[in-house]
Parts: sequence; C-alpha cells; structure tokens
Amino acid sequence: MTEAVNTLDHPKGAYVFKLYLAGGAPNSVRAFANLYAICRKHFPDSHRIEVIDIMKEPLRALAETVLVTPTVVKLFPLPAVRIIGDLSDEEAILRALGLPQKEEQ
Amino acid sequence: MSDKPQPAATEKIFSGIEGFDDITCGGLPVGRTTLLMGGPGSGKTVLALQILVSTAMNHGTRGIFVAFEENARRVAANGEIFGWDMPGLEKSDLYFVDACVQSDVVKSGSFDLTGLLLVLEAKAAEMGAKLIVFDAIDVLLGLLDDPTAEARELYRLHEWLMLHHFTGILTSKVEDGQPAISARYGFMPFMADCAVMLSQRIADRVAARFVRVLKYRGSPHALNEVPFVIGPHGVEVGSSNGVHPEPQPFDERVSTGIVRLDEMLCGGIYRGTNMLITGSSGGGKSTLAGAFVEAACCRNERTLYISFDENSRDIVRDLGTMSIDLAPYLESGLLRMESIRTEAASSEEHFMNIKRMIKEQHPRCVVIDPLSALARVGGGMAARAVAERLIYLCRNKGITVLFTSLLEGSDPHLETTTLHVSTISDSWIQIYYALLDGERNRALSIIKSRGSKHSNKIRELIFSDTGVTLADPYTAGGEVLMGTLRQEKETAASRQKAGVQ
Repeated sequence: MTEAVNTLDHPKGAYVFKLYLAGGAPNSVRAFANLYAICRKHFPDSHRIEVIDIMKEPLRALAETVLVTPTVVKLFPLPAVRIIGDLSDEEAILRALGLPQKEEQ
Repeated sequence: MSDKPQPAATEKIFSGIEGFDDITCGGLPVGRTTLLMGGPGSGKTVLALQILVSTAMNHGTRGIFVAFEENARRVAANGEIFGWDMPGLEKSDLYFVDACVQSDVVKSGSFDLTGLLLVLEAKAAEMGAKLIVFDAIDVLLGLLDDPTAEARELYRLHEWLMLHHFTGILTSKVEDGQPAISARYGFMPFMADCAVMLSQRIADRVAARFVRVLKYRGSPHALNEVPFVIGPHGVEVGSSNGVHPEPQPFDERVSTGIVRLDEMLCGGIYRGTNMLITGSSGGGKSTLAGAFVEAACCRNERTLYISFDENSRDIVRDLGTMSIDLAPYLESGLLRMESIRTEAASSEEHFMNIKRMIKEQHPRCVVIDPLSALARVGGGMAARAVAERLIYLCRNKGITVLFTSLLEGSDPHLETTTLHVSTISDSWIQIYYALLDGERNRALSIIKSRGSKHSNKIRELIFSDTGVTLADPYTAGGEVLMGTLRQEKETAASRQKAGVQ
C-alpha cells in the first residue's frame, strides 16, 4: 500500500506527504483513506504520499521523532506541517495546509 | 490482558534512593506501573530520572526516559547538576526520547499511543532496556481532549508494560488539590500498581517537601507522609524507618575539655554519647563547645562543628580570646566548621545537610550549636523529630556529640528546652546567671549524666584569657559563693593556709 517518493526530486508545486501508521490499527486505516481522499479532491495530479509503517520501521519513526499514530507530515510546499490524528476533521487539515475551505457548494 | 501467570510475591527493584526504598519496602514493582504524582515543582521529574540513573548505575538496569513536557536534552542536563554521569550513561544504559508535542502540531481526529509503544518496544529490544519513564504523560493525553480516550490510552500503556514485563514509571501533575487528586486522572492511582504522591507545603514560611506512598499492590508500605529534600546529589527521603542495630556502648570516657568539669563527671562523658548544654543567650554555651572541640582535636579526632547563624571565623576569634585556639586544626583539616543559615532551609533540609557532612567527614566528635535553631524552621513537631533523628544518627555511628540549646525565658530553674530534647540527652549541663550581691556570675550545674555518679554541686564558671575553668566551691549559709564573695573567701582561705604553714 505504499506509494513511495524521493522527496528530493519532487515535481514542482506538488504536495508531498509522509504518513506514519501503526499497521492496520483502525485509526491508521482511517487516516490512510482520509489523506488519499483529500489529495484526490484538492490536488489530484500533484501529490505524493510516502507511507511509513511504524510496525515495520519503528526505529526510523524514532529517528524522525514521530511517536503518535497516525501522524502525517506535509514536507512540501514549505513550511513543513505536522498533523496528528485520523484526519477526520477535513477543515482543520485544509486550514493547516493553507487551502481555501469549502470551495464547492 | 496478559495471560502470564501472576507472580506470588511482588518482585521489586531497588530505586537506590535512600529512604525511598524504605517507604516502599524494597523499591518499585518489576514489570508493573508506578505512578508519581505531584503539583508543579514537586520533584516528579527529578525523582523519576534519579531512579533511572541509580538503577542503571547500581544494577546495570538499562532504561528509557520519554519526556513529554520538558525538552529531553534539558532533562539530561539537569541530571548533570546532581553530579550524575549523563554522557557516560547515555552511551549504552540510558536513552532519552524527546516526545514534546510541538506547539504548531495540528490535531485532526483521534490518535493513540500505538506508534509510541511500537517505537519503544523496538528501542528497548535494541538496547535491552527494562525500565521506562513516561514523564508528564498527562501532557500528551491532554491533546486527546477526550476523557474516555485518555483513560483508554492509559490502560493500553499499562497493559503494554505488563505484557512486555517492563517496569514503568509514569509521572503526572495533579491539580493543586490536596489531598484530592485531579478528577480528570482520578482513575490513575487505581490503575497503577504503586502510586506515590509528592507535595510541597509552606510551614512557618519555609517550604518543605513530602512524599507518601498512596498504595502498593501486593506489598506493605509506609503509610505516613515522609519528608524529602532535593539536595546537591538529588532526592533524599527522610525515612521513617528507625530500626537500626543497637551500637555497642563504649567504656571510654571523653574529656569535655575542662578539667574540673571532667572531674565533676567522674572523668568526662562516655564516648558515643551526647551532652546537652543549655543556657540563656550569652551564657557561654559556645565557649564550652569550643573547649570540647579543642580537646577532641588534641586527641587527634576528626571533629565537625556546625554552628547556626554564627560565622565560623567569629567563633574562632572569640574562642581565641580565651586561649582556645582552633585555627591550626581548621588548617590541618582535622576540624571542619560549617556555618549554616537557619532560615535558608527547612529543618528537614538541615538534617540532610548535616547527615551528608557526617558521611563525608566521618567525624568522631560533632558539635551542633545550637540545636534549638531547628525549632525556628519547620514547626515544633517536625523540628523535634529532626533533632531526635540527628541524635540517633550520631549514636548509631558512635559519634560523641555536644549540642547546645537556648533556654527560653529567664527562670533558670525552669529546665525546659525549646525542642524538649533534654529527655534524649545522655548528659545535661545547665549554665545560668546567678545574681547575688550586685553581681552577675555564670553558674554551672550538671542536671544529669547517665552512668556517672556526677557531682551535685553548683560551681562558678570562669572565663578568662587563660582559658575556661570552674571555681572551687565555697558556700556560706547554704548559698554558693560567687564572684567577689568567692574571691574574698578564697583569699581568706589561702591566707589561713599560709598562716598554718
């Protein structure tokens, strides 16, 4: 379920995320689905998501100081933003990403 | 829930903190959760860190410190203040996880501790850690902003510790409520296997710290609140456990430094006992203490002189005017003089300080001048308990102690001391002013001296530039003669003697 990216050569203007999950924990699964839904909706052609399963790479998460799951880090565009939770509050995410909220309707 | 069989008796690990292992009857429960609760500045973080450090140093038990509130580097740096070798320990025995929640983190929906526990599990396996501290766990849980979720995560943590047989220490703030614990985390002590409450209170304008074991599943523990201090080497708990082997009594006599007083005491006081000198202000208590110190140093015995609120140099200078010269012993290091400001600390802290000095110097004789200074800080009951513990500490170490106590009030026959320590003194000498025929003269009498047929006479105490001594007793009409009257009688007696010859 990974869609790995090399964050160094990301396409210009693309949104790059790192999503830290804990295996198939319910809120991890929800976060995964929510992040994909948001990306498809708001920047369908310009996003990259790297998924890191803490169950498989715990020491990497430690090195990257990610301790609660789920956590998503927006790496690009700068500044980096860290969001914790299952991403069910879409408005909070859009605000954090600096996107206009509720564009449709 | 873990399906491991429950051990019959609670397995424990020594915290290595003096006094703390006494009140917990042997330390922390292994493979269980210990909760340290307290208000801000109550010493939770220091205590948790010290347990981690001392178990690593004493037993080689490796540990992880997860810092949720304070920067992990700063926590480690705090350890160095207490003289702990943090860089050395961090090479392999200790690991710090910085789990501070940055203020710019955005929260969207629910999260849990699964990730953290996975990370810790991997790190613990990698380094072989057995002890894990979660410092200020309430900060992270507070982010959940949902009491049910907070409780769920705490239980998750608790069960995870049990499953992996990790010994966990959780610290958590409590609202300043006393003795009640925060309603929000009210269930925490119920969940934990061992719950410890730290508190700080002001008594007589002096702050004092206390620790109490609220519960300890499957183990006895001290029920009472016990004072503790955070000293230069970390936490020291004033244990309530007073059971010590009785020291072997000495037959040797120790000089008081005044020949005639030794005669009155049938050769001095027994080694390893204590002597109390009471008197009003300016009565000469410190001078007698000085004579005792000089005699001890003359015998080449390490001596510790603790004075409250008086400068050591002043004491040495004043004693010098009476031919009691302590300067050479100070220089050689045989004598250590410490001047302590009474108001600077609680009586409990004073006790810990003095205890530490005794531990460092191993003196054979100790002077505490005046012990009654303790009564000024920390309230009567606390000060009395401290004074008693100080006396017992010295007795157990076979140290001969001279302590002075200021008498309140002017009635010299009202033989009460501020701390009521006269009951635990082995010898008790009273100095007072005798007002007779327009003169004020110092008088000395021995009120008690255990194991000695001491003199019952009241003697005049004479301070002169050649030293301290007691005058020969002269009585007339049932009164002890002092000052001019005594001198006249003395002159007459010596003339008579000369005339006879």
